[in-house]
Amino acid sequence: MKRTLNVLVLAALVIFVPSLSSAQKPIVIGAPLSTAFLYGWDAERGIKLAVEEINAQGGVDVGGKKTQFKVEVIDTRDLEPGVPVSDALMAVEKLILEKKADFLIGGPVRSEAALAAMDLLGKYKKVSILTTGSLTPAYHARVEKEYDKLKYCFRIHGEAGQLVKEIMACFGEIKEKFGLTKAFIMVQDVAHARGGGEILGKVAAKAGWTIDGTEVYPTGTTDFSMGLLKAKNAGSQILNIWMDMPESSILLKQWYELQIPALPFGSTLAAAEQPGFWKATEGKGEYTLCNVVNAGNAPSNATDWTMKFYDAYAKKWKIEPEGLGSSSSYMAVYTLKDAIERAGSIDSGKVVEALEKTDLMGVYGRIRFNPKNHQVIPSLDPKEGAVGTILQWQAGKRVVVFPKSIAMGEIQLPPWMKK
Amino acid sequence: MQILIYGTINSIALALMALGFALVYGISRVPNFAHGAIYVVAGFLTWAFLKAAGFSYLLSALIAILITGVLGALIYRLMLIRVRGMAISEIIASYAIGLAILEGLRWGGFKGMTYTLPLFIPGSVNLGGVPVDIHRLLLIGIGAAVIVLLWLFTHYTRIGLALRGMAQDERAALMLGIDSDMMALLATAFGSMLAGLAAVVLLPLGNIVVEAGYNVLILAIAVCIVGGLGSWMGAVLAAFLIGFAQILTVVYLGSHFQMVVALLAIIITLIIRPSGLFGRQKELEERV
Repeated sequence: MKRTLNVLVLAALVIFVPSLSSAQKPIVIGAPLSTAFLYGWDAERGIKLAVEEINAQGGVDVGGKKTQFKVEVIDTRDLEPGVPVSDALMAVEKLILEKKADFLIGGPVRSEAALAAMDLLGKYKKVSILTTGSLTPAYHARVEKEYDKLKYCFRIHGEAGQLVKEIMACFGEIKEKFGLTKAFIMVQDVAHARGGGEILGKVAAKAGWTIDGTEVYPTGTTDFSMGLLKAKNAGSQILNIWMDMPESSILLKQWYELQIPALPFGSTLAAAEQPGFWKATEGKGEYTLCNVVNAGNAPSNATDWTMKFYDAYAKKWKIEPEGLGSSSSYMAVYTLKDAIERAGSIDSGKVVEALEKTDLMGVYGRIRFNPKNHQVIPSLDPKEGAVGTILQWQAGKRVVVFPKSIAMGEIQLPPWMKK
Repeated sequence: MQILIYGTINSIALALMALGFALVYGISRVPNFAHGAIYVVAGFLTWAFLKAAGFSYLLSALIAILITGVLGALIYRLMLIRVRGMAISEIIASYAIGLAILEGLRWGGFKGMTYTLPLFIPGSVNLGGVPVDIHRLLLIGIGAAVIVLLWLFTHYTRIGLALRGMAQDERAALMLGIDSDMMALLATAFGSMLAGLAAVVLLPLGNIVVEAGYNVLILAIAVCIVGGLGSWMGAVLAAFLIGFAQILTVVYLGSHFQMVVALLAIIITLIIRPSGLFGRQKELEERV
């Protein structure tokens, strides 16, 4: 009896063990994201949507073997006030060492944390595609300067320098159409916002704009009335806002209540990017302009894929794509899939080479990376590169107003600014 | 004019945030570090009754304030009473409770900017060339009324007098038959209700976010340290000092330094006069 049992166990092992060993281990995508904040949860949703779609189609072809993606998300909390950068670094290291992430997509979200994480990525030779939040030009500048060490770092969304160019082009349209020439800059006290505001101030001044002042707000500020009054007293006509904190919606409510005669223009304005902004401000945020960095984060027909992504996101998450990290995070997964398939391997070195040769028509235009600094190549034309998007809140809807190649409407002024 | 109007409004807002904290410490000598968390809870409760249950704002706010009072009493009866008299344990326990509440809310999905409360009266008026939203003007009236009512309560009601007796000398109050634990419980409940009241009048100006709990706690502590721990009239005066200092800082230096004012006030007070403007805690040591 015992002998028969042993034979049966042995037979079972012979039958099942080969099938177990041949089961393909999934490719783990680690997503270090500040999940309690817009730029965290929008990216998480974008990544998960793309992974679900790819897995439903059979997965990734790695050298002839179909492999599934698996997502591991860790909350870096780096967007929260007072949370040290080291917490985000621990999250990145945990993803690499404990969760055995093969690749990283998403954050860290805060520029300071993303810059600090670059050394870790270099140390562990992990390919990372930054998709949300971090706009600092220092990121791709570091890749270019320390290429051999940091070649694993890519960024697939627009950065502050490009944003400023797009904003200035849009400012030009506003100047031409409405004759506005005076701006007041309001920034959150974080690296990307301070840097962006400073660059914009200098560029705008060179372009003939009068910059009436710059006001810096600590993260978590809930009262902007004094800054708004400064802008009003100076006769500013545009409020250029760089803020990723949810409290920025308060700024727009106060702008409306005080009827400040200046058009709010968010270079980074997390609150106004979200569909819930209208409800949060009870419609008081109407006329707010807002840069959502890449197409696909607001409805437009930039490419054939834009509205397909937009609708799929809305269907899955019961909400429209919300922040600047939605379309780029989604696209990063498809870009990684494309690179792995061309590399025929998940080896970091081979995938880096493949990513550098990426040429993919995506949700927000043609996706290519600058091979020297791994920054996605931008353009105002989606056929040529990653196209940006500036929207304006009009009658409860987010209407894309810039660039002209994908615009769905015209910029409008609030009634109290009309002469 | 701008400094006068916005300085007064900011000072009243700070006083509203700090009065509850000052009251609890003044009576029970327990520093309620869950104060900021209770403020946020009151905001979310009001939002829930208003949006989910469809109650009027006034009713929603009243229910929320009552619930925060019960919450404060429970916090004292179930947790703080066990560590009363052990200063470090009181701080750790109450901060832990606050942390659990705030992080619990975040974990429960209460994040983002969509949790908002409506203004009492929308729109703005022009006062001497300075635009001010009407809600802020109402704040001045509400804040002044709260301060007067609190003074009347502590001077002309049996409970109020008992609370003051406790605050002045707990042992003497015990000898006169005042139940010190009951008074401390009531003080925590009233303090929590004041935090709730601050939330329902201040949060319509912004939105309800978990992070506000930490900010309110820091500001309340700053006001109470400058005013003198335990003295709620000192807290009112300190609120005006810090409130005006903040507005002057914003006007002449920039918004970036607004929070520094409160933190700097704590440091300067602790160096020059640790007991604060009206505090008696270290008066003897200071004299020596």
